[in-house]
Amino acid sequence: MAIETEWRDYDVVVVGSGGAGSHAAQAAAAEGARVLVVSKDPIGCSDTKISEGIATVRESGSDDDSEETLSENLRMAGGDLPVGAITDAFSADSKTAYDRYRMQGLRPAIDTMRNTPKSLPLPMGGHTRRRSVGHRNSGIAFGHANWNAVVQGDRIDYIEDCWFLDLVTEQREDGAGKRVVGGVIYDAARGRLVAVRAPSVIIAAGGLSTLYFPKTDTMRGNTGDSFAVAARAGADLVDMEQVQFLPFCLASPPSYEGLLIGEPMTASYLGVLRDRNGKVILDGVYLRTRAECSAAIMRAVEDGRGSPNGGAYLDMTGNKRHPLSGPYFMRFLETALPSAYRVARQALSKSAAKCEEPWEVRPSAHYMMGGIRANEHGVSVAGEGTGQAEQGIAGLFTAGQAMGGLFGANRLGSTSLTEGAVFGRRSGRIAADRARNVKATINDDAFAPLIAEIENRFGQPGDRAAPTLKLELQREAWINIGPVRTADRVLKMDTVLADLESKLETVAIPDYAEWNQSFIEFAELCNLIVTAKAVAAAARERDGSLGGHVRLDRGAISAFSQPYSTIVSQSADGAMQVRRVARPRTPLKRIVAYKAKEFWRKVEVKWLRALPAAMQDRKLEKKYRAIMGVTGAAPELAPGGAEAAIGEATRA
Amino acid sequence: MKVEIVTRRGGAEAVVEYDYQRRHEDEKPMVLDLLLQAQATTMPDLAFRYGCRARNCGVCTVDVNGRPRVACRARVNDGDRISPMATLPALSDLVVRRDGVARQMRGRLATAGQGNDLNVEAPDDYHALTACIECYACLHGCPMHARNFGGGPPGEMPADQTPDPAEGYRWGNPFSLLKLQRTRLDPLTSAAGKEAALNHAIDLGLDACVGCKGCKCGVGIDLMGKVVRDMVSAAGDRLPHVDDASD
Repeated sequence: MAIETEWRDYDVVVVGSGGAGSHAAQAAAAEGARVLVVSKDPIGCSDTKISEGIATVRESGSDDDSEETLSENLRMAGGDLPVGAITDAFSADSKTAYDRYRMQGLRPAIDTMRNTPKSLPLPMGGHTRRRSVGHRNSGIAFGHANWNAVVQGDRIDYIEDCWFLDLVTEQREDGAGKRVVGGVIYDAARGRLVAVRAPSVIIAAGGLSTLYFPKTDTMRGNTGDSFAVAARAGADLVDMEQVQFLPFCLASPPSYEGLLIGEPMTASYLGVLRDRNGKVILDGVYLRTRAECSAAIMRAVEDGRGSPNGGAYLDMTGNKRHPLSGPYFMRFLETALPSAYRVARQALSKSAAKCEEPWEVRPSAHYMMGGIRANEHGVSVAGEGTGQAEQGIAGLFTAGQAMGGLFGANRLGSTSLTEGAVFGRRSGRIAADRARNVKATINDDAFAPLIAEIENRFGQPGDRAAPTLKLELQREAWINIGPVRTADRVLKMDTVLADLESKLETVAIPDYAEWNQSFIEFAELCNLIVTAKAVAAAARERDGSLGGHVRLDRGAISAFSQPYSTIVSQSADGAMQVRRVARPRTPLKRIVAYKAKEFWRKVEVKWLRALPAAMQDRKLEKKYRAIMGVTGAAPELAPGGAEAAIGEATRA
Repeated sequence: MKVEIVTRRGGAEAVVEYDYQRRHEDEKPMVLDLLLQAQATTMPDLAFRYGCRARNCGVCTVDVNGRPRVACRARVNDGDRISPMATLPALSDLVVRRDGVARQMRGRLATAGQGNDLNVEAPDDYHALTACIECYACLHGCPMHARNFGGGPPGEMPADQTPDPAEGYRWGNPFSLLKLQRTRLDPLTSAAGKEAALNHAIDLGLDACVGCKGCKCGVGIDLMGKVVRDMVSAAGDRLPHVDDASD
C-alpha cells in the first residue's frame, strides 16, 4: 500500500515542542512568521517535564552577580570547551528568557525584599553566585508554560504524533554549500507523509539518552533525532563525546532503574561513596562534579568492587546519625530535590529512605552537552575556530539540548531550562528573519528521492524487529561508549554499529500507513545508530579523560594544556569524519585561583570529617541553620498504597 | 503472571495473552514493565506510549480492568486486562489520539502581557493545580467529555460521526476546566481575563458538572474542591438549576 503525501508551506518549522521548541515557535511567530511545530510525542512532553524545575536567573540571589561571572562559570566548568559568544549570550539573556516562562504562567516564589524570584539558599555546584530558582511541582510547572505557549499561540500550527524524518536541502546558488528547503514528516495519527516546504527549520528535538536505556532518567523520546537529522543533512556536530551521566540514579528495582535519586549536593557534608566492601571510594561528595562521582562508581565496578547491580553505595548515614544536625539534614534532603527524593522513598527500603543504610547508586545518561554546531543565535556553522554561518547549512537552526557549544565538558546544574528559553528565542527570531528575507522558490523535485525512499520502507520484507536491535544497541552503547571508555571499547563500538547498520535492510515493516509502530521503531533505531556513530567518532578523538568523557586507559587531560573541541560530520558514504578545533584557554591565573579554591574546600571537608562526633554535629547544625530554617519529615510513600494517587492503584 | 493485552490494527481488535516473566522472585512489576517486556520478546510491534517512567509526563495512561492508570506507576496483577483508554479514540494497540483535548483550548488560554510586574506570588491552590501531568485519567466517567461522542465512549460511535480531533473537541473535561481555573487563580490575570475564563468553562459545558458526583484525578488533585465547585458557584444562575441535591 502506498502512503500518501500531503504538501504544506510554512516560514519556519520547529522540530520539538519542549522548552526550546516552544520558545522558538513563540519568538518566530512574534516576528510575523507562520510556524509549524512538529512533535512526535504529545505537545510539551519533553525533558522539561522531568527536570527538577530549577532555572538559572542571573542576579536573582545577589547583586554582585554579573554577565561576565556567569559566562565564566560556564566556561570554567566546561573545561574551556564552551564557545565564549554562546556562554555570553546565555548570561545576557537569562533574565528575559526566564520571564517568557512567567508570561505563560510559571509562578516562582518571590523575594519581596529584592523584588526578584527567590533563589535557592546555596549556589549550586560550579556556580559562584546564588542564581538558581526552584519551582513548585518542579519541571511539570515549566511543562504547563510550554504547553500553553504552543497550544494558544497565534500563527503557530502544531502537529503531534508526527516524526520529522529528515531535512530536505539543495545546493546553494552561490555554490558555497547547502540550504534548507523543508523536510518530510511521518504523521502517524493520520497515516500519511507531510512534505513541508520551509526556508527555515529549527531543530529542538532534545538529546540521545535513550541510547543507554534503561540506564537513563530522561524521556523515552531522546533517540538522537536532532543529531541524526542534522548529520544526515551534512551539518557539523560538536563535542559529541560529552554525554553527561548523573551519578546517583537507581540500579534497582527494575521499574525504577535509571531514575534520579540524588545529586552530589544532596549527599551533604558527610556523604561518601563506598564500594562493595565498605571502603570509601570518594569523600567530600557534595563538592564533586557529577562526572567525578560517576567515574568513581564506574571505576569500582570495573575493578570488580561494584554493587550487585553494577553500581556503588552512596552512604549518607554519617549525616543522619548526628542528634542535632541529623534532622536538618533530612529536611535538606527532602526539600533540595523533591522529585528525586520522592523516587528514592518509593523505590528504596524504609531504612534506606531514612538514610539509616546506604543507597545503591549507578550513573544514568542524562544530557548531551555537545550537539549541533551553531553560533550564539543557534545558526548552523562550520569551518575553523568557532565556525562561520556562511559555511554552515543555510536555513538550519538549533536550540536546547540539540545545540552544542554551551556546556562543553560539564553542564552546571539548573542551566538546561534557561538554555531552552534563551536559544529557543534567539533561533526563533533569526529563523523568522531569514524566512522574511529569503524568497527563493522551492523546487519540489528536491523532495522526491527522500519521499520515495520512505515510501519504500512501508512494506519492507524482513525477519528482524527494530526493538530487538535497539536493545542490542543500548547494551553495547553502555559498555563501549558509556560512562567509562577505553580505546578498544570505542573501536569495538564501530564494529557493533556497522553490524547493526547492515541488518537495517532486513527489518520487517508492514505496509499499513496509520500508526505503523514498526516503521516508527525503525526510524528511531536509524537515528540512534547515526548518533552513536558520532559519539564513538568523537570519543576516539578525545584522547584522555575530560568531563563527561572518562577514559580508563588514559589519564586526565590537564587544565593547563591547549583545549580543543571535537567536530564530527557525516560524509556522503555515511562515514563519520572527526577533527579538532582549538579553543582559547582561560588565563593561567584564573585556573590556579579556581584550583586553589577547589583544593581548599576539599581540605575543609576532610578536616570536618576528622572532628570528634559532638563537635562535628554542632558545626553542622550551625551550617544547616544558616542555609535553611525549619525541620520536619515527609511521610513514607509507596506506589499503589493508600496514600498514593488514584492513577497508581490497580486494585481498589 | 498472565495478563490480557487488547491490541488493535486497522480497526480490528484482538486480545493477546501475555505471560510476564518476573526478573526476580519478589518483583512487583508495573504495567509499563510488562509492556516493555512484551515488546522486547513476543510482541515487537506492540504500540504504546510512555515517556519518563516516573509519573511526570502523563503520556503512558492505559485502562487496567476498565479504569485509567498511569502505566509506569501502576502495579500489574495476574489476570489484569490492559486496554487503551476508552475515553479517547484508539489509534493503534494501546495508543489513543490525545490532541482533540489540547486543541479545544486554543484561544482560551491567557498570556500575561508585557510590562506587567511578574514578581507576584501565586496562591497555594494555583500550585496545587499545576501538579497536573495531563494523564487524562480524569476523562473517565466525565459526562461533559462524553457529550463529544453522543454520551458514550468514542469506540461505540460510528466512525463517520466521530468528531475530528484536529478541530478540538466541542465539549470540555476536568483537564480543560483545570487549565481555566489556573487562569482564574493567577494573580496576574485581569478581572476581564478571569471572567473570560469562566465564560470559556460555561461554553465548554460546565452545566454538565451540576449535580455530577465528581471526577477523579490520576495524581491526586482535588478536582471537585479546587476546580469544579468553585467554577459552578461562580457561574451561579448562568447554569441550569438542579432541584435535587443528588450526592
